[in-house]
Amino acid sequence: MTGALDLFINNPAVILTVGALMCLAIPRHLASPILLIATAISAVKLYTLGLGNYGAVSLFGETLTTVRLDPLSRIFAVVFHIAAALNIIYAWGQRDRAQNFATLAYPAAALGGVLAGDMITLFFWWEMAAITSVFLVWAPGTRVTYLSGMRYLSIQILSGVLLLGGIVLTFRETGTLDFNFIGLRDDNGAIKFSALVMFLAFGIKSAFPLLHNWVQDAYPKSTITGAIILSIFTTKLAVYSLARAFPGTIELVYIGAVMTIFPIFFALIENDLRKVLTYSINNQVGFMVVAIGFGAINGAAGYAFGNIIFEGLLFMALGAAMYRTGTSKATELGGLYKTMPLTMGLCIVGALSISAFPGTLGFVTKGLIIDAAGEAHMFWIWLTLLFASAGVLEHAGIKIPYFTFFAHDSGKRPKEAPIGMMIAMGASAAMCLGLGFFPEPLYALMPDQAAIAGYHPYSAYHIVEQLQLLLWAVLAFAVLILLKWYPAEVPSTNLDTDWFWRIPGRELLGWVTGASRATWIALWGIFSGRVQALMERIYAVHGPEGQMARSWPIGFMALWTAILLGLVLFLSFLA
Amino acid sequence: MSIVAQLPVLPIVMPIMAAPITLLLPRGRAPHLWACLFTWLTFAACIALFREVAATGPISYALGDWAPPIGIEYRIDLANALVLLLVSGIASVVFPFAYRSVQLEVDQRQTPLFYGALLICMTGLLGVTITGDAFNVFVFLEISSLSTYALIAMGARRDRRALTAAFNYLVMGTIGATFFVIGIGLLYQSTGTLNMADLAQQLIGQDNRMVQAGFAFILVGMGLKLAMFPMHLWLPNAYTYAPSAVTAFLAATATKVAVYVIIRFFFSVFNFDFAFIGAAFTYVLLPLGLAGMFVASFVAVFQEDVKRMLAYSSVAQIGYMLLGLSFATVEGLTASLVHIFNHALMKAALFMAVACVVLRSGSHSIHAFAGLSKRMPVTTWAFIISGLSLIGVPLTVGFISKWYLLNAAFAAGHWYAGFLIVASSLIALAYIGRVAEVMLLKEPADDGKFVLPKEEAPLSMLVPMWILVAANIYFGVRTDLTGDIATRAAEALMMMAGGAP
Repeated sequence: MTGALDLFINNPAVILTVGALMCLAIPRHLASPILLIATAISAVKLYTLGLGNYGAVSLFGETLTTVRLDPLSRIFAVVFHIAAALNIIYAWGQRDRAQNFATLAYPAAALGGVLAGDMITLFFWWEMAAITSVFLVWAPGTRVTYLSGMRYLSIQILSGVLLLGGIVLTFRETGTLDFNFIGLRDDNGAIKFSALVMFLAFGIKSAFPLLHNWVQDAYPKSTITGAIILSIFTTKLAVYSLARAFPGTIELVYIGAVMTIFPIFFALIENDLRKVLTYSINNQVGFMVVAIGFGAINGAAGYAFGNIIFEGLLFMALGAAMYRTGTSKATELGGLYKTMPLTMGLCIVGALSISAFPGTLGFVTKGLIIDAAGEAHMFWIWLTLLFASAGVLEHAGIKIPYFTFFAHDSGKRPKEAPIGMMIAMGASAAMCLGLGFFPEPLYALMPDQAAIAGYHPYSAYHIVEQLQLLLWAVLAFAVLILLKWYPAEVPSTNLDTDWFWRIPGRELLGWVTGASRATWIALWGIFSGRVQALMERIYAVHGPEGQMARSWPIGFMALWTAILLGLVLFLSFLA
Repeated sequence: MSIVAQLPVLPIVMPIMAAPITLLLPRGRAPHLWACLFTWLTFAACIALFREVAATGPISYALGDWAPPIGIEYRIDLANALVLLLVSGIASVVFPFAYRSVQLEVDQRQTPLFYGALLICMTGLLGVTITGDAFNVFVFLEISSLSTYALIAMGARRDRRALTAAFNYLVMGTIGATFFVIGIGLLYQSTGTLNMADLAQQLIGQDNRMVQAGFAFILVGMGLKLAMFPMHLWLPNAYTYAPSAVTAFLAATATKVAVYVIIRFFFSVFNFDFAFIGAAFTYVLLPLGLAGMFVASFVAVFQEDVKRMLAYSSVAQIGYMLLGLSFATVEGLTASLVHIFNHALMKAALFMAVACVVLRSGSHSIHAFAGLSKRMPVTTWAFIISGLSLIGVPLTVGFISKWYLLNAAFAAGHWYAGFLIVASSLIALAYIGRVAEVMLLKEPADDGKFVLPKEEAPLSMLVPMWILVAANIYFGVRTDLTGDIATRAAEALMMMAGGAP
């Protein structure tokens, strides 16, 4: 009995799942308090557990560790709790049962994955995360979101399939189910097939380039609160898994570098600000992936922590504007600062933080990654990351607040955001600034204490480097605005790429983005067209009226039997 | 003559003697209680037998003291002890469950007949499993089949289509049994014996046309009984229109026993020296298993009738068993045996949940499941947990099956099969997920087409159902019970067949 008790009571993810299930049964208006209480209980449980392994289960003679709390899983578990609580407060009073359920069940699944000490448990929560999150994509209840949700689900499940395949292969090779360092290459430097399959599974969930489309496809179609929750967990669970299994894999540096750069182009020309933020997710995860590639686990975990807070804050602020105005299009927003000054202020804190201004959470965590790149003496990667940082400032740091709250006056005069949203945003902003100035508590959570011990974010070098970058970008922005060269709300405007790409010129930039976008759309079109055609074909054959599902007459059944008998006779005689 | 020495014959003698007495009992509760009592006694005998076999090795029992190979021999090793345990275990859970469901779905006057037929059906299945005599297999097969036709036809009170379903099954089942007996006849012609162990001895070196034809007839005949794709066409209708309790029992036992017979003939009567065994693995069981997994799963996704959906799902699951078998390795055989056991647990629980819904809402259409989680939460969760097991979620038996299968596929070098196994279980996710979504999130329609359930199913149904749901979890965690027994059974069978260990 203690075994079962250990399995269920000592697992924060199970506590959250129970909380989520409860809100399917209780009256709707009680859902938010119940969800928050479950999160609180789970957080207390996490705190009292302390580092160690719990919830051992025996399977196939192997011991599974359903809860492993070590420094790496702890920092993710902590920030997942914070994010879950903030989301519940943000969505306070939400009545939709499916969404309320997913608001906690989905973080619970991600948390379970992070806490999993073995690969079977990881697989279980990996698939649960896919299944629970799709309710958020489906939440608006339209046909478009339904189809989008199906696409999202198939890709997530595909990742799970690859994961399971990778698990079995790895198990056959190593004989253990423990989830630890795997490494892409064996001792001779050859790529291991088993590891490659797992790598790909993680890659899909962390939205590697070419595998990233599901993010932009599904996330912006969700509800206001749904998009915020979705933006946080799936990719961070994948980042955690990569950090656990593939730290120091040099391929990740290049993959991550591409991830930081390519979404910027798409973000620039995007009019829907929520979609801009989804590109920003790709870009931000790219930084973490680079850090993992360098083996800078502190950088990856720390930046994941920070990103969850400030990216969430941006999503929340944009969500508040959307809640009041009903749109997230840059062309339809603008001038909201007059009536939503508080939201505007909080949004700017998030924007400063994601741009890594000194004194914010972004600064104290991103420095870890840029430093790691510098120390690795990979000049081009380092430069790419700087470029990308400037790109972040443009598309997330300036574009989001500018087009939402300033720019041309849309004439909309909405009320300030509701109190629940205000509290959630305020708490996020407070964390951005508080941990920005006093990062010690965050650093104390870092997985690699030896590496963090000598790190001082506010050294002169860091501040000067960062401020130079930011000041140039801001200056250019200011000049362009003054000269009225910064065209408002024209989707393809971009300040700092303009600035950086002065020599190749705006045309080339436009051409590159246009061409790659067209290629993507074409490829996606072919792909989704094929899928659609395939589904129709399957339905035609297997649907209720299809040949495969009909009630055939006896003669037909007997005929099949005869055919098979002939076949087997033929085979037996031949063999 | 101690009772212990007669233990091997008890699982057959007790129910077959009890069955006719059932007919003499007054209508109402009595036949049901009588039948339940004897399934429990049978189950107890099977447990004792299983323990005996697990401890001391195979048991041989000469019926009527006529020494084999002339007399009929009951021969129990680990493989059929496991199946015996399964059949009698499922029966001892389904029989008590059946009462309320049968009250609603079967004509009141027929209840003594119903329970009598159900007992005979169980006896037949046990007999097929326990016997070591090839002709005896046919006899028991007919005993179970004939009672099955009658049982399916009793669903006609609710839906007249049960009659055509039963008739179709009768024709197809008879073809299957005839093929099987033709096959036995051909083997008898060339060896002059019907005892399986003796057959195996006499067949050595006899790779001639007659034996080959005998093999083909046996494979196709049994393939029909176990609903091997594409000979599965009788199954969906039979399962859909039979009374719910009958479906739960048959889905968990009948096809499994037929798979067992295939295993028995492949490994204990024939052996790997016959080239056609290898050919049948590679060119019949492997492709048809894979095809069944996908085609039947896809059909299940689009079904509007939950019972029918689960029936197609059964065809797909049989594909897994055949696939595991076709690898012709210890791992593959283990996976098949484990899945025989595990699939019985999940499918019985799922069909029992459907029976509960039918009892309260009067329909097994998916629309009758709308919003069920509010009105019948206990049933809903039983369905969902067993459904998760069917999909293969860790901590359930379904996952154990998938794991053994995947392991076997990779060990045999069939990489693609490994990925196809996982891919097809995703389709299971689609069809189970569809029902789960309807139960949890849909509001029931107010068009009056379906009766809204007013209360949860009675305890007499919930308790047996949850015993099976709990078994789904228990055997999902305690894998040593099924996994080890199946591995030992598979190793023994492999030794007999002379294949690579």
